[in-house]
Amino acid sequence: MPFIRDILQHRSLSIVGLEKNTGKTVCLNYILHRMSELGVHVGVTSIGVDGEQVDAVFATAKPEITLYEGTHFITSEQHYMKRQLVSVLEYVDSQRTALGPLVTARVLVRGKALLSGAATTGVLRNQIEQLDSMGVDISIVDGALSRLSLASPTVTEAMILATGAAVSANVKQLVSKTKFLHTLICLDEVLPETRETLNNIESGIWAIDSEQQPHDLGIRSAFLIGGSDNKMFTYGKTFFAAGAVSDRLLKMLASKEKDITLITRDFTKLFITPEVYTEFTRRGGRLLVLQRSRLIAVTLNPTSPQGFLLDSKRTCDALSEALQTPVYDVMKIEL
Amino acid sequence: MKIKDLIKQDAGFLYIIDNMELMSSAGRRKMLSEEFCCDACLLQAEWQRLDLAIQATREFKYKKPYIELRHCLMQLHDLQGTLANLATHTTLNEVELFEIKNLAQLTHTATDAIQGLGLAEVLPLPDTTKVFHLLDPDHTGIANFYIYDSYDARLTPLRRELKALQEHEGDPVRISQLLAEQNDIQQEICKRLSDQLTAYHRTLATAMEQMAYIDFLLAKADLAIRWGLSRPEIGESIVYQNLVNPRLQERNEKAHLRYQPVDITLHQGVCLITGANMAGKTVLLKSVGTAQLMAQCGMYVPASKGIVKLVDGVVSSIGDEQDEMNGLSSYASEIIKISHIIDTCRSHEMLVLIDEPARTTNPVEGKALVQAIIKILNPMQSITLITTHYGQLGAQCRKLRVKGFVENMSDVPLTPQSINRFIDYSLTEDQSDNVPHEALRIATILGCDSQLIALAQENVSN
Repeated sequence: MPFIRDILQHRSLSIVGLEKNTGKTVCLNYILHRMSELGVHVGVTSIGVDGEQVDAVFATAKPEITLYEGTHFITSEQHYMKRQLVSVLEYVDSQRTALGPLVTARVLVRGKALLSGAATTGVLRNQIEQLDSMGVDISIVDGALSRLSLASPTVTEAMILATGAAVSANVKQLVSKTKFLHTLICLDEVLPETRETLNNIESGIWAIDSEQQPHDLGIRSAFLIGGSDNKMFTYGKTFFAAGAVSDRLLKMLASKEKDITLITRDFTKLFITPEVYTEFTRRGGRLLVLQRSRLIAVTLNPTSPQGFLLDSKRTCDALSEALQTPVYDVMKIEL
Repeated sequence: MKIKDLIKQDAGFLYIIDNMELMSSAGRRKMLSEEFCCDACLLQAEWQRLDLAIQATREFKYKKPYIELRHCLMQLHDLQGTLANLATHTTLNEVELFEIKNLAQLTHTATDAIQGLGLAEVLPLPDTTKVFHLLDPDHTGIANFYIYDSYDARLTPLRRELKALQEHEGDPVRISQLLAEQNDIQQEICKRLSDQLTAYHRTLATAMEQMAYIDFLLAKADLAIRWGLSRPEIGESIVYQNLVNPRLQERNEKAHLRYQPVDITLHQGVCLITGANMAGKTVLLKSVGTAQLMAQCGMYVPASKGIVKLVDGVVSSIGDEQDEMNGLSSYASEIIKISHIIDTCRSHEMLVLIDEPARTTNPVEGKALVQAIIKILNPMQSITLITTHYGQLGAQCRKLRVKGFVENMSDVPLTPQSINRFIDYSLTEDQSDNVPHEALRIATILGCDSQLIALAQENVSN
């Protein structure tokens, strides 16, 4: 499969799924296998905020993955003790999770292991740095259920999006849900100068004037926005939301003026629904990001957890056409 | 009492502790469990170590041994749980063994760094070489760890077979069998190593505690340098030159306000402090309390020169604490506190700080209460500081007055914002029985309702 070459252009990669059971693990296993064949030094970690299984503050279990000789991996003490491979401990973190401290080890004899990871992107970023310092060529982050923050370009350089029958057994719906997220991932970037000006703003909603200068509107968050604030438009119709962007903010902006440009940090800050976004764009609205994620590939798991099987080729084709991106069936990936 | 209890009682002291830059959680634990010390010899010894640490920090701050030591401390993990397991003969797992090996190596590196700082005699660390060798059978010298092949002759052939099978996707049943066998052997080795390490339990515990202490000491030294703290002497009175309240000083600096340090001398018995509103009486009380806690917790004091009298503890009744939540009126909670203070002072030598006692009740009884408090506390061994607005107390105790409002002290226009520039916070001995009457003057400057002030003025004149 061609996307392995693309992955190697980057120092870090996240694998995120639209839903659980979209084949992230199969995809990760495939990548790890190919990397080992190519002799690439890989570091693997994960992020665990999986409401279903374990307390969100702590670590959470993932399906077993196969790790090859020389690979560095990060997991919790408890999962480390259950590994089915031979490895050397190289680092133990001082912070503890419910499953003991997170440990970093290097594989001596290949085998299976469970990954469990940090709960926050801050810790994840440190882990990627740490793997870097251990000399890995690329760090791969295994995602958790419907968790996108790890795919933020401030955390990992590139991403793979996993979708599948678990999202919807209806091909049309599957395509439209995947396409919406894909649209957000592929939003255009602002000009480098604008990025420079806005990058250090940490909170609030700002108006951007024609000189590209930001002005604080005194609104702390998109969730606290008032209904009748017409002073917002003193500096024009371009805004920057440093934090999360909600449906409410988009609706409010679109209801007041046409042709609004809203800049957000990256697609992981968008908590919006397709309906509201469509209405926003219909009124001439435009969303931009400071930094765009590099989407390497979209993968498809045609099997749903209920056992329903989609027609692989038809679905892949429909997705490819809608997204204008190659889509691969994870079940047909040959190891 | 320990630092962790004292910071709950004194917000100024909490501010000091919050500003300590510790490298490790073990160091933080060590700091919080540090006792308020009443022993002059122990304190002198601690200040001596702090003095040496300050000298070493000044000399080596950006040089190798200091940086290396800080780096070691940053990597120090609090292994209380693991060490407790070791003491009770519980088998340690690989991660715990890794932690022990890491501690052994850190101790070794820190020993060299401390040598380089010239502090080897004052801060001795135990020798952990044997522990390290036990966990480094291949003599790699690296703090990595796993159950090395050389621990058991069975491991090499087993792992060789496992590797071959895994690489060629061999029989999964055989693979599971080998993994299980390996686990059993590893377990045996963990048990053996844990038994051997039990003998070094004390060495390791000492190493960790001493490293935690070094972390605390370096943080104290760093704070003393950053804030210009000075080493106190021990005497029979409390004497400060240029005493500051670090929390307030920083707040003022941030707001570009003037901050004036004060000189104060306090002897056994009661010292009554009078002064206009806004003259800093309460701040003075808090500063004296915080400085006393710092000194007796083995730190330097926020003054250019300080002499402390060692006391059994600091007790205070300072009115801005929120007692309404306890369902008590401000008067009730205050009087209970003062009663408790008097009781404590009957058996202990304390530093007592009472801010405007009985100010929330009627002035006739209030004054009578203050007179009684002074009469009881004055002959006692404790050092007591009481602020008040009551005059004509007829008290037979020492009196200090904050100089207070000085009309021509600054050229800037007099406004509520600039009023702080017109106050002289220094203290002067006061023989009279009167208190300053500047409440209405200050209310005027603060822009209070003119009718209110005019009427009050009239009442005073009558």
